Amino acid sequence: MDGDEPRDGVRETYDRIASHFASTREYPWPEVESFVADSTESGPAARALDLGCGNGRHVELLSAHADEVVGLDVSRGLLDEAVARSAERGFDAGLVQGDASRLPLADDAFDLAVYVATIHHLAPRAARVASLNELARVLDADGRAVVSAWSTAHDTFDREDGFDTTVDWTLPGGETVPRFYHIYAPDEFDADLDASDLAVVESTVSSGNCYAVVAGAEPRGR
Amino acid sequence: MKESLMDILCDPLDKSELELEVDERDGDEILEGRLIGTVTGEVYPIEDGIPNLLPPDMRD
Repeated sequence: MDGDEPRDGVRETYDRIASHFASTREYPWPEVESFVADSTESGPAARALDLGCGNGRHVELLSAHADEVVGLDVSRGLLDEAVARSAERGFDAGLVQGDASRLPLADDAFDLAVYVATIHHLAPRAARVASLNELARVLDADGRAVVSAWSTAHDTFDREDGFDTTVDWTLPGGETVPRFYHIYAPDEFDADLDASDLAVVESTVSSGNCYAVVAGAEPRGR
Repeated sequence: MKESLMDILCDPLDKSELELEVDERDGDEILEGRLIGTVTGEVYPIEDGIPNLLPPDMRD
């Protein structure tokens, strides 16, 4: 399997399950809500990014705390769900189809970002670290982002080291669709963050997920 | 996509600027058209209001 196959597979998978997946992803995560509330305590962000925005539930949250919001996802099917959600709920966002490891976004364009439950779909590890470097590039050095990944700390898993696996999504009617995951060990998650250009503010484990609050890289060549 | 999004979009391959070509718009909302890498020459379609800025090796 070459390096691009898992990501291509993830795009096809989410295009296929987009509608049902979106219907089960109604509410923002409490950990993300409190991160966004803490980060915007002194005033709204100028521009916020949701990397791997899916059906836009966190785009909706960000739109209440930022002047401008961009949502990026690899799956056009999920972006169409986000368009429908923004029309129904009356929030405004720029939606872009793209690859988390090769962002089509300018340096230091964002002062707030969420990168939630997405990095664990990327392979190989170089692509995951590249996506963290891309987040560091587009996030202002004074900006803040939260990064999360599914972890071995979750009750579902009986292992201590990180590993690659597939987790089936079951469509109504019983058909299953496999999704690629890299399940992170917490210390491995921290190691990938340390290997990246991001500055780690804090790193925690909550509800079986690794979470890190990070800051962007200092601008280069200026 | 809104035309103002051009301020922060760039070519995913080398982060260079993109040029916008519009086929259909509704006010400041661009519905159909394309973004073209000013350095790479790569063409990225805008379909039904959403720009597809996947790198070429990830597009169908």
